Amino acid sequence: MLTAGLVMIVAIAAAIFAATTRNIVHAIFALAISLGAIALAFLILKSPFVAAMEVLIYIGGISVAMVFAVMLSSVGKSAPSEGMTRRLGAGFAAIAFFAGVAAVLIGADLDGLPVPETSAEAWSVQQIGRDLLDRFNVVFELLSVVLLLAILGAVTIASRNDGHDEASSGNAGAGLGARMPDEMRPGDSAASVNPASPASAAPSASDASRSEEARA
Amino acid sequence: MPKTLAEMLGSPMLAVATGLGGVMGLLSFNALFCIYLERKISAWIQRRMGPMEVGFHGMLQTVADMVKLLGKQLITPKGIDKPLYHLAPLVVFAPVVAGTSLMAFSGSFALHHIDLGLVLVFTFGGFAVLGIFMAGWGSNNKYALLGAMRSVAQNISYEIPLLLSALSVVMLTTSMGRTVTVGDETVAVQGLNLFHITMVQMDRNVWFIVLQPVAAILFFIAVLAETNRAPFDIPEAESELVAGFHTEYSGMRFALFFFGEYSNMLIGCMVATTLFFGGWSGPLLPGPVWFFLKSYALMAVMMWVRWTYPRLRFDQLMRFCWMVMIPLSIVNLLVTAFFLKVF
Repeated sequence: MLTAGLVMIVAIAAAIFAATTRNIVHAIFALAISLGAIALAFLILKSPFVAAMEVLIYIGGISVAMVFAVMLSSVGKSAPSEGMTRRLGAGFAAIAFFAGVAAVLIGADLDGLPVPETSAEAWSVQQIGRDLLDRFNVVFELLSVVLLLAILGAVTIASRNDGHDEASSGNAGAGLGARMPDEMRPGDSAASVNPASPASAAPSASDASRSEEARA
Repeated sequence: MPKTLAEMLGSPMLAVATGLGGVMGLLSFNALFCIYLERKISAWIQRRMGPMEVGFHGMLQTVADMVKLLGKQLITPKGIDKPLYHLAPLVVFAPVVAGTSLMAFSGSFALHHIDLGLVLVFTFGGFAVLGIFMAGWGSNNKYALLGAMRSVAQNISYEIPLLLSALSVVMLTTSMGRTVTVGDETVAVQGLNLFHITMVQMDRNVWFIVLQPVAAILFFIAVLAETNRAPFDIPEAESELVAGFHTEYSGMRFALFFFGEYSNMLIGCMVATTLFFGGWSGPLLPGPVWFFLKSYALMAVMMWVRWTYPRLRFDQLMRFCWMVMIPLSIVNLLVTAFFLKVF
């Protein structure tokens, strides 16, 4: 009980820090800590598979992808400063969401639910896999639609940057090449890449603004 | 069924203490031994002698180097991002200890015995990228940041063929043996359990490299890339980036990164041994001896590769992953699924 409480305090504190800090990289690592604490919570709830997936996907995947996004984005034209109305709006949205979830949870008849099976058999990887492709197949397929949308969104954003040069947006290797600073960019493959692409200046720009951030 | 340390000692706390001590000892020995091995292999390939002065044939050279690193001043640069800079070596090293403790060293003994073994190994492997990025960003040095950036891009990309090639072995394991009889007990095979993967290979008298040669090669190449080994060592390309992400680290902090790298190599080789080379199985010698012999043979191949192939350029590296490795591993997975379904 004490451990669970400590874990949840860490999760919430790290999440609050992630939401409030001005340093985007600190925010990412705070989020990773928060997600790690949630994985621990799953472990306490005796769901090792979900805990492992939480770490594998959210810390190993999503956080690293965020780190990657930060490095590829140009910080020079950074986010517009949020006005008071935007902050209030975001606050209201968050409170409304929390209230909605809380209302559903309080209203739900939790005692009437069937007692979850706690045997090791019921939570084996095989059983989870079978359930995913059998009982919860529709949900599983819906999740893949979400992934498809994410891929489509990424392609759309990538092709908007240099719409006239479709070769580089469709090719992940060349796409990364386009974002390399000049001294790293190899001569021959850069021929197909627009040298005036704003993204190519990103790392050096982020480097300069980062040193200011670190001092702040 | 392998007995876990906790069962043998009868106390979980004692098991944690001895297990941690054992793993740390193994990893320390591994780092010292591998640095020596690397120097000797590189010297042999380049027709040199390598270290010869300290101890017999220079065997104590790495020990002397370690003492030197321990005594070195820890230089903390100005303008760093303090929490990230100081945490980075730990984030690189700590998951390695956890990952090593999951390994299937032998059929009769285990530190942990869980069905999620393979998943957890990859889970802990994913932390290294975060640590490297923390180091590169926290150092506030452009070479370090460039190295970290390359490392993150490389690790994300090569994780895909790594997992896909491991997945084809998992599919094979679950399909080939629903149950495996070891001694007088029969166990239901779990495809993600490292011990069961070895047991199925022992039961069928075949190494999975025979059945999955493509997956084995893809896995080994992906391990090379994940551990930032040459020819994929552009995150620390000395000729262009000083030392890459650990440029600003000195003394033991630097040594921890080095420890982490060699330990990750060992873990990669141990997982490859389990997946493709029959784990601890082998005649005459006891299981753990075979396991480490195979792992260190793979390690020697990694070093051989390092001193044979030149470093790839960044775009070549990315193109190789996305254009060759990922399509090949997907095709391999589909072919495996097809054959398992048909036969």
